[in-house]
Amino acid sequence: MILAAAIDDVSYAHPGADLPSLERVSIQIAAGEAVAILGPSGAGKTTLLALLDGRLRGWLGRVSVLGTQLDPDQRPPREQCADTGFIFQEFALVERSTVFRNVLNGRLGRMPCLRAAFGSPSTRDCEIARTALADCGIADLADRRVDSLSGGQRQRVAIARCLAQEPKLILADEPVSNLDPVRAVDILTLLTKVARARGAAILFSSHQPDLAGRFADRIVGLRSGSILFSIPAAQLSEDRTTALYRQEVSVSGVSLRAVN
Amino acid sequence: MRSRGLSGFFAGALVACAVLWSFATVDVELSRLMSAGPRMAGFIGRMIPPDPTVMGEIAKGSAETLRIAILGTLGAILLSIPLGILASETMVPPAVHRPARLMLAFIRAVPLILVAMLMVGAVGLGPLPGMIAVAIHATGMLAKFYAEAIDGVSRAPIEALESVGAGPLARLRFAIWPQMAPVVARDTIFRFELNLRESLILGIVGAGGIGFYIQTYVRSFQYDKAASVTLAVIVMVIAIEAFNVALRRRFA
Ligand SMILES: Nc1ncnc2c1ncn2[C@@H]1O[C@H](COP(=O)(O)OP(=O)(O)O)[C@@H](O)[C@H]1O
Ligand SMILES: [Mg+2]
Repeated sequence: MILAAAIDDVSYAHPGADLPSLERVSIQIAAGEAVAILGPSGAGKTTLLALLDGRLRGWLGRVSVLGTQLDPDQRPPREQCADTGFIFQEFALVERSTVFRNVLNGRLGRMPCLRAAFGSPSTRDCEIARTALADCGIADLADRRVDSLSGGQRQRVAIARCLAQEPKLILADEPVSNLDPVRAVDILTLLTKVARARGAAILFSSHQPDLAGRFADRIVGLRSGSILFSIPAAQLSEDRTTALYRQEVSVSGVSLRAVN
Repeated sequence: MRSRGLSGFFAGALVACAVLWSFATVDVELSRLMSAGPRMAGFIGRMIPPDPTVMGEIAKGSAETLRIAILGTLGAILLSIPLGILASETMVPPAVHRPARLMLAFIRAVPLILVAMLMVGAVGLGPLPGMIAVAIHATGMLAKFYAEAIDGVSRAPIEALESVGAGPLARLRFAIWPQMAPVVARDTIFRFELNLRESLILGIVGAGGIGFYIQTYVRSFQYDKAASVTLAVIVMVIAIEAFNVALRRRFA
């Protein structure tokens, strides 16, 4: 069986950074699996997701996504980029464009280069975009400009754009960190449901253990760039999360952020 | 405190010296200054009433000024697209954008009337040197604005389209351009207004437009006609101003 993603002994430091953001990380994600990456701020969650998205260069170790090995020196081909959908923490939408245009942008990697830039989208592309909007419950927002939307609505647009890509692996960077608890549950329900319906594997990061445990099959605990544990969601215990979020320095009741 | 008092004293002394020096070297005699009042009154008397028979010349001159401004702006846009890219910090390395910015600052520093005089020397009298002068002069500002518009674009949506698998042209069209477009439109219209306003006087150095008639009538002592043209220029400036206010509201 082809794995959705396999990271084998990978270390990575951002350009100009002194310390590595990922240190000897190994994970495997099965096809169709839902995995949560749990960890405090600065743990390396965003870095790990960007690595799988093919946007980082110069790592050590082996990374393969959907059965294809990524090259640490080269951007993956466009078709491969389209196969992994990334939902950005701050949404990364084009604010002055309409919701529909933003979702259609998800199709750009599936069109021939010149048609993507200058042609009009095909009926099929429009249909796929409409379906994505409907699946995210925002069909009525299609003609609104993104800069007129609320945070929850934007999150849905970002998910719809990702679905329009028809990805086989969905990477979601803290998809609910900007939302209130009720909307957070709504969005995670939506995300895991659409991923399952399309047979896509999903890897999402979070800093909320309760939500991660509720929506993922498996939890990966990341701290200071290293993996502390990788366990079935049911085994997530108080002790594990405490170890994950433990403050390293504490001075007279004032706790400082964990430092590595 | 003490040093501030001292520098204040020096600044005052400097201003006093500058004024005294100007009086001493320029031919400003008290007697001429005293007689300037009555002469000014006589001059204004000869401007009244403005001669309305020059409407044809006014229409012709204004149309030419408008054409100079339109074509000059078009030229500036064409020059500013490549130069704006070369002067942007996010598109090209410092070895390129630093000299490009320096060159634009240099162009901006030369007044339009001076560029126009040089162009009249280069290509002869008429609206052509006016258009070229406006195009060159306006590029100094417009290319800088375009560079800033490029640099002001948020990176996140571009990165998102990269992640989607969109090529560079698709990213330019759907992530960069939508962010830049309103800024580019606003800056271009703003520069067009300035071009229109500044090219009103180009005719004085022989570079075409309505300014030509002011110069002609003043030199031939037809002050009533010069007054008509001057009034027309004032009306045009006010009209441009009103247009500007309306646009500001539109872009706010
Ligand atoms: N572009 C960057 N340049 C340098 N260091 C970075 C960059 N992005 C992230 N880092 C560092 O890498 C570490 C992991 O960051 P990140 O992956 O964003 O963590 P998380 O998403 O878990 O909060 C942090 O220490 C952060 O300071
Ligand atoms: Mg992050």
